[in-house]
Amino acid sequence: MGALRQEEMILNVGPQHPSTHGVFRLVVTIDGEQIVEADSVVGYLHRGTEKLAEDLQYTQIIPYTDRLDYLASMINNYALVHTVEYAMDLEVPARAEYLRLIVMELNRIGSHLMFIGAYLLDLGAMSPFLYAFQEREMIVQMFNEICGARLTYNYMRVGGVKWDAPPGWLDKVRDFVPHMRERFKMLSDLVSGNEIFLNRVKGIGVITQEEALNYSLSGINLRSTGFNFDLRKNRPYNLYDQFDFDIPVGSNGDCFDRYYLHLREMEQSVRIVEQAVASIPDGPVLGKVPKLIRVPAGEYYTSIEGARGELGVYIVSDGKDKPYRMKLRRPSFVNLQILRKLLIGQSMSNLIAILGAVDIVLGEVDA
Amino acid sequence: MASLWGWHTSALTGISFLGMIIGAVIVLLLILGIVSYLIYFERKVIGWMQGRIGPNRVGPFGLLQSVADILKLLIKEDVIPTNADRALFLLAPVIAFVPSFMVLAVIPFTATHYFTAGLNVGVLYYIALSSITILGIVMGGWASNNKYSLLGGMRSAAQMISYEIPLGLSLLGVIMLSGSLNLNQIVAAQNYGHVWFIIPQIIGFVVFVISGIAELNRTPFDLPEAESELVAGYFTEYSGFRFAFFMLAEYVYVFAISALATTMFLGGWSGPFLPSWLWFAIKVSACIFFLFWVRATMPRIRGDQLMGFAWKVLIPVALFNILLTGAVYEIHL
Amino acid sequence: METQQDVVETPASGTAPSAPEGKAPATNSAPPTAERAPESAAPAVPAPDTTPPPAPAAKPAATAKPAAAAAKPAKPPAPPDPRVVAATATAEEIRASIAAHLGADAVEDASATKEIPILRIAREKWRQTVEFLKDRPEHAYNYVELFAGTDYKDYIEVVVYLYSTEHGSYIHVKTRTPREDASLPSLTPVFAGVNWEEREVYDLLGIHFEGHPDLRRIMMWEEWNGHPLRKDYSDFENVPSREGGQY
Repeated sequence: MGALRQEEMILNVGPQHPSTHGVFRLVVTIDGEQIVEADSVVGYLHRGTEKLAEDLQYTQIIPYTDRLDYLASMINNYALVHTVEYAMDLEVPARAEYLRLIVMELNRIGSHLMFIGAYLLDLGAMSPFLYAFQEREMIVQMFNEICGARLTYNYMRVGGVKWDAPPGWLDKVRDFVPHMRERFKMLSDLVSGNEIFLNRVKGIGVITQEEALNYSLSGINLRSTGFNFDLRKNRPYNLYDQFDFDIPVGSNGDCFDRYYLHLREMEQSVRIVEQAVASIPDGPVLGKVPKLIRVPAGEYYTSIEGARGELGVYIVSDGKDKPYRMKLRRPSFVNLQILRKLLIGQSMSNLIAILGAVDIVLGEVDA
Repeated sequence: MASLWGWHTSALTGISFLGMIIGAVIVLLLILGIVSYLIYFERKVIGWMQGRIGPNRVGPFGLLQSVADILKLLIKEDVIPTNADRALFLLAPVIAFVPSFMVLAVIPFTATHYFTAGLNVGVLYYIALSSITILGIVMGGWASNNKYSLLGGMRSAAQMISYEIPLGLSLLGVIMLSGSLNLNQIVAAQNYGHVWFIIPQIIGFVVFVISGIAELNRTPFDLPEAESELVAGYFTEYSGFRFAFFMLAEYVYVFAISALATTMFLGGWSGPFLPSWLWFAIKVSACIFFLFWVRATMPRIRGDQLMGFAWKVLIPVALFNILLTGAVYEIHL
Repeated sequence: METQQDVVETPASGTAPSAPEGKAPATNSAPPTAERAPESAAPAVPAPDTTPPPAPAAKPAATAKPAAAAAKPAKPPAPPDPRVVAATATAEEIRASIAAHLGADAVEDASATKEIPILRIAREKWRQTVEFLKDRPEHAYNYVELFAGTDYKDYIEVVVYLYSTEHGSYIHVKTRTPREDASLPSLTPVFAGVNWEEREVYDLLGIHFEGHPDLRRIMMWEEWNGHPLRKDYSDFENVPSREGGQY
């Protein structure tokens, strides 16, 4: 009997696949169930936001940022208006900054809840997804009340925010804080100690600190390696330097650390929200801003800590009311590059665990 | 009457053969009803565990949801992929489905064994026939000419063959205690000894439950159809009533393995006060509920861990259980 | 060649720096914008008609380069922003450090925007300089924050924001390439994380990165015609090719 013919198989994971969280295609070459090569194909959701922005006034770009990381639109809004305000040296009223901070942190919680739910769903656990959505639904409802939208908020403006909080809204947020605290324990108890879960994520997809820096990883992907780098602390923007919170840091850089840091980060976000709601001042929510916003000529880059990492906006202005060039530093796009390195040599089941933990949003990857 | 339902005790005659046919048809129809409400039950139970409502639109309390789903599947277009291996593709659902019904022949539903074949090798018959389903799954995975299906089929074959062994071994303890492979007599032995075999055979029961879930390809062992990894595994390319056949086979096995567990470990139909069929139904429902509960709770295990678990943990434990049973039996009696 | 033109052109526009400034302060917070006169000076003249290159950012600084950096803040009427002065000083320091190791022609220009030092690196020494900035312990810029390309109509500029996790400092290095046969040395050997960023710039701006391991289009498909972020790109002229059944 001759030797069995063996060959590698090319498997297209995506663009239509339940676990790629969007239209992301991963061409993996597998030997049995072992991955020997992985090539990411992105761009299916490319809308040319950067190109479109060149023909739009700054206020008109804000809705486009909603569609980047659609799980954390508030943070995207802020990234853009922050850069414009930085370039123009605009003063933002205190109440507006507080409102921004509250919605951003709520949105971070919502986004992380989504991650935890979706990640566990990828790993075959159905229920946490729906549990996570209960709280996310509360947050989304609050956003609906403050800006009239559940997903694409278009809430911030250069110099402030569009709407003040409706009556009673801040009380809702205040009540949400203790409720969320209780739920953390439950969310953690649901799966964090499950033997099957731990076996699937511990020691899988390990990123070292050097790799993380070399690959420009940011956000939880970077912090999971034990590297303490959070722009809210390292380069404070908004009012983050006035509040008391910690940056949870991982130690192993594996999928479990990334999962667990999402949980821990939400706790810190709740802390920030609690302090902010307690001390929010009265006042206007939109500063004195010209009708037509013109950014002085020059190039400006600011970055903030998005839900998925360092979210930056780079604007080249020639002094007109439209950017000459706008470049978005999308954390998902940059973080996704390390996927190939993490995947090679792993099995197909680990593919999902690793891809899920890198935590990408395709709207942001493809821009 | 006695001649119609008396095939256990009397010689085969024309009238008792007719009784066999009628019994088989009744069981078939009954099972179809049970399966459609099993699906409804699962969706309601999992919905309840996840803080949802579950199906509530079709019929009162959504009771007709499964009927509507099955109807939808039956009137759907029957799609056969161009590059599929046509003959095998058409055959696979049948091969997967038929054994799932056939195994029910040996399950004693009631104290009067109207619908039960009193096979002397009942346990072997169950395990042997349920293995045939693997063939259907592998065939379906291969014939679809789809890489996900192939991977799903291969995973399924590896998994089910691996878990057959601890499943069979875990039942050996019960067989040693009852001294019979006949499921009717195993129930009778539990009645006679006034103790369900779950108590002396607790280790065997645990092994049985774990490997049973693995045999069913259900969470946490649902790798062959891991949606988030392999889209739908071996039946990715199936649609319409062929897909329904696979689903049906899966849920019939859920019922069958619960019935087997009831018979082997939980005293079968026996119980005080209530009629025997009701006892059987209650016990089977409890087993099924447990399966659904596990599904709502557990994440999915990984392939290599799955294999390691079967060979390194379950089989040694099952063997130890046999040894222990034999030793205790020898000393005690 | 192009840079030479800028040098000629910008002083002319730089003589009337108050034009855009006058507009900006009128509408919003006045004092802070005034300090950036040197940067915003360029478009003063070309602003109404778009035909001449807008020449933003570092170009006026390029004019200041032949003289000395110290002369630069002296130009605007308002007192210089202390942030810019400090950042320019930092930029000069780094420039001196680079010049000592890689030759004086490595850095073409040192300036600053707000608190961030800007260095313009010669195209040929792009990779060596970035590598130098990464490897030298006194700089240790080991983290790429931003990688962006901009088409300035005369040339294409690539910008990298580098962060030093050790020192907490942050610098902005850029380089230029002509628009025709645009090419630059790839930074992929230095920073693995710019792989996709370079592919994106290649895709959208058409810069060929030499030494890139996997230079393919990333957002558009391979048959796409033209590079969308170039300023002369037109939706009507750059109809995607229909060959290969892709479109």
